[in-house]
Amino acid sequence: MITRPVVSVSMKKSRITADIFIPLAFIILILAGWEYIVRLRSIPDWLLPGPAQIVRTLVDNAPLIIKHTQSTLIECLAGFAVAILFSFIVAFLMDEIALLRKALYPLIVASQTIPIVSVAPLFIIWFGYGMLPKIIVVVLVCFFPVAISLLSGLAAVDNDYLELFRSMQASRLKTFRMVKLPLSMPSFFAGLRISAAYSVMGAVIGEWLGAKQGLGTYMTLAQRSFQIDRVFAAILAVTVLSAALFLLVSLVERLVIPWNRLGEK
Amino acid sequence: MPEIVVEGISKTLGGLLTLGKINIKAGAGDFVGILGPSGCGKSTLFNIISGLLRPDRGRVLIDGRDVTGRTGRVSYMRQKDLLLPSLNIVENVSIPLVLKGMPKKQACAEAAAHFKQFGLAGFEKYYPRQLSGGMRQRAAMLRTYLFSSDILLLDEPFAALDAITKRKMQAWLIDVFNMINPTVMYITHDVDEALYLCDRIYVLSDCPTDVRLEIRVPFCRPPHGRTIAHSEYGAIRDKVMEALEI
Repeated sequence: MITRPVVSVSMKKSRITADIFIPLAFIILILAGWEYIVRLRSIPDWLLPGPAQIVRTLVDNAPLIIKHTQSTLIECLAGFAVAILFSFIVAFLMDEIALLRKALYPLIVASQTIPIVSVAPLFIIWFGYGMLPKIIVVVLVCFFPVAISLLSGLAAVDNDYLELFRSMQASRLKTFRMVKLPLSMPSFFAGLRISAAYSVMGAVIGEWLGAKQGLGTYMTLAQRSFQIDRVFAAILAVTVLSAALFLLVSLVERLVIPWNRLGEK
Repeated sequence: MPEIVVEGISKTLGGLLTLGKINIKAGAGDFVGILGPSGCGKSTLFNIISGLLRPDRGRVLIDGRDVTGRTGRVSYMRQKDLLLPSLNIVENVSIPLVLKGMPKKQACAEAAAHFKQFGLAGFEKYYPRQLSGGMRQRAAMLRTYLFSSDILLLDEPFAALDAITKRKMQAWLIDVFNMINPTVMYITHDVDEALYLCDRIYVLSDCPTDVRLEIRVPFCRPPHGRTIAHSEYGAIRDKVMEALEI
């Protein structure tokens, strides 16, 4: 009567090996090739440093980079939180009120076509060099994927569920809370994962254009003084930060909707 | 047990006359089958009985009370189990009680008390995705029962199951029926299923739908389950097939 996963332990083990080992080996291969070429041609550090040099710079500048990473992280999390809050409010209202959906949907999609690099300087003019303009950029970058995925998740709920709850005289609010919200969560988290990765990029772009602190600032400063190894170290930090946020969202997803992983083949 | 009377119901859906003057009656404790080609508006009929849809003409009486276009008296069970993947089975099944205002804990306890009767004992904490189609339909049936224990409207409840599971579920349904003795309306497009389960069968026509044939089944739900061996089986089956024009 109960469906058990068909994947045996040994199959699972070999799949994990393949999923982790193959990409890892590939990355190591690329890094080794990079290092080899840099040493063979004795390319100067200010043009292209090798991976070993980048790691050395990262370790040497660790306290400074960590400090910059912290401000970038705060901007990301703040912007991310505001974007999620906005998405919930907007998606709920748009789902409940058809007129609002018709009015707002094209606007939301159009907002996504505005290049962030062109509006970010305006935020700096309006709100100064502090964290606020960066947070706004992160909100703008994250809002769209989260709101759209939540909206489509809500819209994709099988109408038969809604009819069943209507026949049991459930109120709209209860139907939303018991049916629509949980059933739209998998789609919502898919959007959340995407924007988690985008959020760091948004913050870095914001800092790039003018800031006192943050990885974007560090990067521009290093670039202007041809300290390419520091630029790469900052890029590495950005990558790690993005991956960490992505993993964080995946972890939260597992905790919030554990049932979604059941029955996965 | 209540009596359901569907009186002169007609309904136009999307400019198409779907139901044209339907009269159907299920007496107290009856097991009534509604048999018809797919797309003939059988589900529309259930939507009207459960109050989700308002008919253009006619009324629905349950125990003499007019419930036309009013939800809350009966719910119905469909081919899809419509269990929420986010809740475990006992939470799913207790939803009608929670919606009626019972505290969640009490509702779960009340629902769990019926698990044995419905062949679900031991599966309280499982999630729908961990169960087979047959078990999920049992849970869906219990949920329907907990909303209105005296009337079961079943819309092709076993149509998505394989033949062997389906037969087991039919035998199970007979056991449940004998225990709780509700008034049942059972939609199906499977002639043999109707002849096996129902006391009386209404055969519906294609759109615009009307009642082609009303026939009493003398051998329904025999304890040994062998309806086909009955001497009248062939003749009644032929009559039903003729009404269905197949």
